[in-house]
Amino acid sequence: MTTTPTDHRTTAHRTRRHTAPPPRPRAAHPQRSRRESAAAVGRLAGEQLAVAGGQVGAGVGNLLFALVAARLLAPSAFAELAAFLALYLLIHVPAGSLSAGSALAPELAARARRRALKGGAVVGGAIAVLAIPLGALLDLSPLLLLAAAAAAPTAPLLALDRGRLYGLGRRTRAVGSLLAEPAVRLTIGVAFAAVAGAVGGAIAVVAAGWAALAVAQLPSGETAPFRRAADARGDDAATRPRTGLAIAAFLLLALIQNQDVLLSNALLDGDEAGRFAVLSTLGGAAAFATTTVPLMLLPRAGRDALRAALGVAFVLGLGAVAVVAVSPGALVTLVFGGRYEQVGALVVPYVLAMALLGVARVFVAHACATGRARHAVFVLAPVALMHLVLVVALGDDAAGIATATLISTTALTAGAATIALPRPRAIRIPRELVWVAALALGGLVLRLLATRGIWLDEATEIHQAQMPMGAMLENLRTIDVHPPLHHIILWGTIRVLGTGELAVRVPSLIAATAMIPLIYAAARDIYDRRAGMAAAVLASVAPFAVWYADEARMYALFMVFALLAVWMQIRILRGDGGAASWIAYVVAAAALVYTQYFGLLFVGTQQLAFVIAIARGALPLRRFVAWTALLALLIAPLVPFALDQFSANESAGRGFQQPSQAGGSVEPGAAPGAYAALTNLAWAVLGYHSNATMTALAAMWPLGVLLALSLLGRGRSWPTLLVVACALAPGVALFALGQLKPFVFEVRYFIGTVPLALVLIARAVTSWPRRPAVVAGACAAVAAIMALGLADQQLNGSNPRVYDFKSALSRIEARAEPGDVIVFTPQYLDHVVAYYEDEGLKMQPLEDGLPAPRRGHKLFLLASFQDKPQYRTAAQDAVRKLSRRHDLVRRDRVPQIQTWEFRR
Amino acid sequence: MTTITDTRLRRPAWSAAGPASVRRRWIRLLLVAMVPLALFYFAWLLQPERVGNPVLYGLLIAAELFNACQALGFWWTCARERPWRRSAWHDLPPAVDVFIPVYDEPVAVVEPTVRAASEMTGAEVSVHVLDDGDSDDMQLMAARCGAGYIRRAEHEGAKAGNINHALARTDAPFVMVLDCDHVPDPEFLEATLGCFNDDRVAFAQTPQYYANWDRGEVPAAAWGQQALFFGPIARGKDGHDAMFCCGTNVVFRRAALLDVGGFPTESVTEDFELSIALHERGWRSRYVPEVLAHGLGPEDMASYVSQQQRWSRGCLSALPTVLRSSLPLRLKVQYMLSASFFLSGWTVLVYMTFPVVRLLTGAQPLASTTADQFLGHFAPYFGLSLLAVTVLGGGAYTFKAFALQAASFWIHVQSTVLTLLGRRGGFVVTPKEGVVGPQPRAVAPALAAIAVLLAVAGYGLLRDRDPATLNNVAFASLHIAVLLAGVVPALRRRPLPLAAPRPHPVPT
Repeated sequence: MTTTPTDHRTTAHRTRRHTAPPPRPRAAHPQRSRRESAAAVGRLAGEQLAVAGGQVGAGVGNLLFALVAARLLAPSAFAELAAFLALYLLIHVPAGSLSAGSALAPELAARARRRALKGGAVVGGAIAVLAIPLGALLDLSPLLLLAAAAAAPTAPLLALDRGRLYGLGRRTRAVGSLLAEPAVRLTIGVAFAAVAGAVGGAIAVVAAGWAALAVAQLPSGETAPFRRAADARGDDAATRPRTGLAIAAFLLLALIQNQDVLLSNALLDGDEAGRFAVLSTLGGAAAFATTTVPLMLLPRAGRDALRAALGVAFVLGLGAVAVVAVSPGALVTLVFGGRYEQVGALVVPYVLAMALLGVARVFVAHACATGRARHAVFVLAPVALMHLVLVVALGDDAAGIATATLISTTALTAGAATIALPRPRAIRIPRELVWVAALALGGLVLRLLATRGIWLDEATEIHQAQMPMGAMLENLRTIDVHPPLHHIILWGTIRVLGTGELAVRVPSLIAATAMIPLIYAAARDIYDRRAGMAAAVLASVAPFAVWYADEARMYALFMVFALLAVWMQIRILRGDGGAASWIAYVVAAAALVYTQYFGLLFVGTQQLAFVIAIARGALPLRRFVAWTALLALLIAPLVPFALDQFSANESAGRGFQQPSQAGGSVEPGAAPGAYAALTNLAWAVLGYHSNATMTALAAMWPLGVLLALSLLGRGRSWPTLLVVACALAPGVALFALGQLKPFVFEVRYFIGTVPLALVLIARAVTSWPRRPAVVAGACAAVAAIMALGLADQQLNGSNPRVYDFKSALSRIEARAEPGDVIVFTPQYLDHVVAYYEDEGLKMQPLEDGLPAPRRGHKLFLLASFQDKPQYRTAAQDAVRKLSRRHDLVRRDRVPQIQTWEFRR
Repeated sequence: MTTITDTRLRRPAWSAAGPASVRRRWIRLLLVAMVPLALFYFAWLLQPERVGNPVLYGLLIAAELFNACQALGFWWTCARERPWRRSAWHDLPPAVDVFIPVYDEPVAVVEPTVRAASEMTGAEVSVHVLDDGDSDDMQLMAARCGAGYIRRAEHEGAKAGNINHALARTDAPFVMVLDCDHVPDPEFLEATLGCFNDDRVAFAQTPQYYANWDRGEVPAAAWGQQALFFGPIARGKDGHDAMFCCGTNVVFRRAALLDVGGFPTESVTEDFELSIALHERGWRSRYVPEVLAHGLGPEDMASYVSQQQRWSRGCLSALPTVLRSSLPLRLKVQYMLSASFFLSGWTVLVYMTFPVVRLLTGAQPLASTTADQFLGHFAPYFGLSLLAVTVLGGGAYTFKAFALQAASFWIHVQSTVLTLLGRRGGFVVTPKEGVVGPQPRAVAPALAAIAVLLAVAGYGLLRDRDPATLNNVAFASLHIAVLLAGVVPALRRRPLPLAAPRPHPVPT
């Protein structure tokens, strides 16, 4: 008796409705021994490698054809051929997703062939009709477009038939089809190209596609060497793959693989787009090598097949990474020429991204084959969207796009693994953890989107971190005022990721993102689940958590270590966690001090709390002494370092004074008062804002009275008192110290208060209202207010904390020519100017005098910190002097920076 | 086993006992630290250049000084707290007449009180139901419980007259007065009679605990106010020998009562005036900081308003008596502080007036100052005052209690006016069972104030959004929020349940 696919679906539907869901396919033969299983994995891996070898061979052949064509054709003709090849790829890549469908259901190929042909013909016809206008638009010969039109019908047919071959296990024929293409290109194609140039080469490429199709469709007496896993289990109907969803999943994979290349042309200028094209070519090779692996896996759903496919994908992917990692710069120079040498630094991460994509494809294939195609689509769609957003957000240069792709493929691999890998029944991921993960992901995207240029302190630290380690520490010891932890982390980061804006901020980004799950865990542990979730929500949008995620400074680490130290102390005092809590506390507290000297204020408050606990008999003295001794031991090496810094700065007459980053809200130099306290409080919770906004916010202080009154009669648990004490005491101490040294009272220096304040706010909004709906509403309202603060902080150009050196210098560079001069004031802008200036212009501080550029050359004056009278006067004097001898061509202003362009 | 439904039969969720001696020392230090902060603020505020609009400035100073006096009085009272240790009666168990005045309360409310009173130990107890409601059911209930029943032909002098009538018909050396809803613990007399070992002690007062505090927002907030009084304030008054009688849960020496001619019948707060009379005659009072009886507080807004109107009328009308009295200065000040508390509603009215006047006319009380300066002087004083209330009250005094008190500002204003006009108030028994449903009339003046503040704030925002306007709108919002928190319980269709009380299983 035979059944139609429709019958199968009906049966499957009924089965699912009326019986328990079928067990997930773990192995085709569960009772087999480990040795048998290993043998099966080996055999399957061998099959995979054979087909992948064909794929690699095809890739190498096609690359050879391109290289031969490059030498054979004139540059303009080769450029035309390259454009045609890109168009050819554009047609074939989306159509390639059909392979997934026919690999899952080989019978689909026969049924869908006619429709595929029609679709391909329609696309081809459209290209043919539009050949002339399209050619004019793309600056391509219409003949090339006609050739592309002729290739269009082959794309879906080839994809369907190759998928069918994978599905039926006809790997020899599949390899033959794969190799047919380069064979035709390298023979006929080379000859045609030699005779007819780019058009000849293009015709041969089209012919190669048809030839590959013909090989794939040749009749054969071969029988399927294996049975599909579902068939083997005899429950084909129950696990019938959803081919439509599988096709959608592979279409999304193709989108993730290619959208960065497509967008790079729109986002980057010509040279940078070219650099990314090089990167994409190398990464594409890694992705190309693993293309067949998931397709081979699709019809073989099972644990052994998954292991084999993963093994092959890992081997090919890591192999590609290893090959390029040997000497990326040299490889790029060898293959693409010296002008692309600087791309070398990005090759390893980008190839790694593509290798991860290869692994992710295996997971997706397994999910599709085991009836979880819908889950796969649910993972792929947001990742594709995230990739798109990240590429747009970070797409200032090739490095940004590469980073976006690496982040996206990493997220994709993790997500796909989660849905594909079988989970033991005992381990169930609670829904709230999924929410926290989603919040962390959302928080990460938010932090990546909220970008700004490098700020003065960052540029200085980047400059220091580029020195050898010993020199950097010596530099810190003699002229800086900060402990070395963040510098050391940045030192390592720069050596791995380079000095790009995003690269240097990766430690802060990680810390500020990690704060979301950390604050959830802390608030949940200290209070309850609702407080944990609320804290995570607030941390994901907290303006400071976002702002300092985007700054290559120590403040994000400061927040994380302060939170961790307080959380661990509560666990210790509660008697939870034993030595583990003590170790975590000691490490966090020590790290806090190594991150910022003002971290001592937090640690001091905590030590006082320990002493009170001992006095009340809540903590054994001996244990406290032992662990505190360890903490002191860890901090001890920092003492001579700090003393050296202090004496060096004192002898230089600087003390610990730093250029203030404060905007105009708080009068610089004045002893802090109640208004400064309010302003810092508003900053900590609602972020940085324009002076007008801060004045308005400060005027609302009576609402603080309401808050104080509403605290009457609230519970006063000791953990809350401890969190409050740790949140307030450092700020109060710095307020007092600020009466002597006003610059120290700034929220950056007690930024550890911010996560503690978030925990307290989360506790308040989840425990004060009694009804769940009110709790949710209160939480949403607070999050909305914070999000509003975040939006104003990031988007309002009047934010006095935004110093847009990046825009100012890029505008200068856009107008500058070799021989022009940039003069800047104040003097300490040197590092930030040097960071952004990469056109070889001469730069000097205004304090060194005004240079006299040669006739016809320009002088750019860049001035910042114009709220400070001495710098404002210096800039005005310079403008006056320059105006006497030069023509003022242009004035420009970006947030906190003014530029003048003079021509002699 | 069965489960208790009468909240009065549960264990108390509050302790009237004071803090340990170490903590008490810290609290005294805190209170001492407040004085210089208050001086710092007033020294700044009272400088001539601060005067903005003279009338508004005068009002501000009056309100601030009144509140400062209340605050200083509060700190002074609380700082005198003395440790409590229960002492036993030194002789054979004495005879005690227990008076339970009744008007028209349900028998179901009174019966548990009568039964529990009959079971008190440590004395020869004679329970008497003093029925001014002439209820036969009550008489039957008294007989059922083995209690005496006293009914009078003429119902003069309200509760005071009722007790005086019973005093003439009984003869035990000690008299205990219980409101009919206050269920005493068996050891009530054991805990209190020891105070009378001192022959100069006229009465021993115990806390008036609202066992129904978790039955809704109104009893919870009312209890928050009670807890502050029967906690640190009453303990402090005891330290000053200035505790006054609160009308229930109190044991009197009959001789003392007879010495002053029984309860005064002209006042609606007979207990307050009786205390003045006793202290004038040289008698002493004691406070026993133990929850020994479980009563019912007002369960709805109308009941609360009625209770507050009676208390404020009574206390304000007692002010001349206090001033005229021959009490020692310390006691006189203590009575002044307690009686004048019911003028604090005026300060709320004054504070609410400032943003309204500023937004409508631009006039403001202070001049030549900045927010920075004002906050620098005011915030430490205000912040530490709140901290003191929190610490002293042990967290029992809640925001809701404060808000309810603020939203009752009009009661103080009304009582002041009526007292000044010489209108006599009648004794109104506080209802013992709450009414379900909104009671907007009970909070109509507060609602009107909210409407005015809202309208003026909106007008101000429409007209201008400069920092000064925003500051006054924020002040208006502060008042709106506090008033709203106070009146919202009166607007609910059903009382909002508080944390669900856990019923205690008791053997049947």
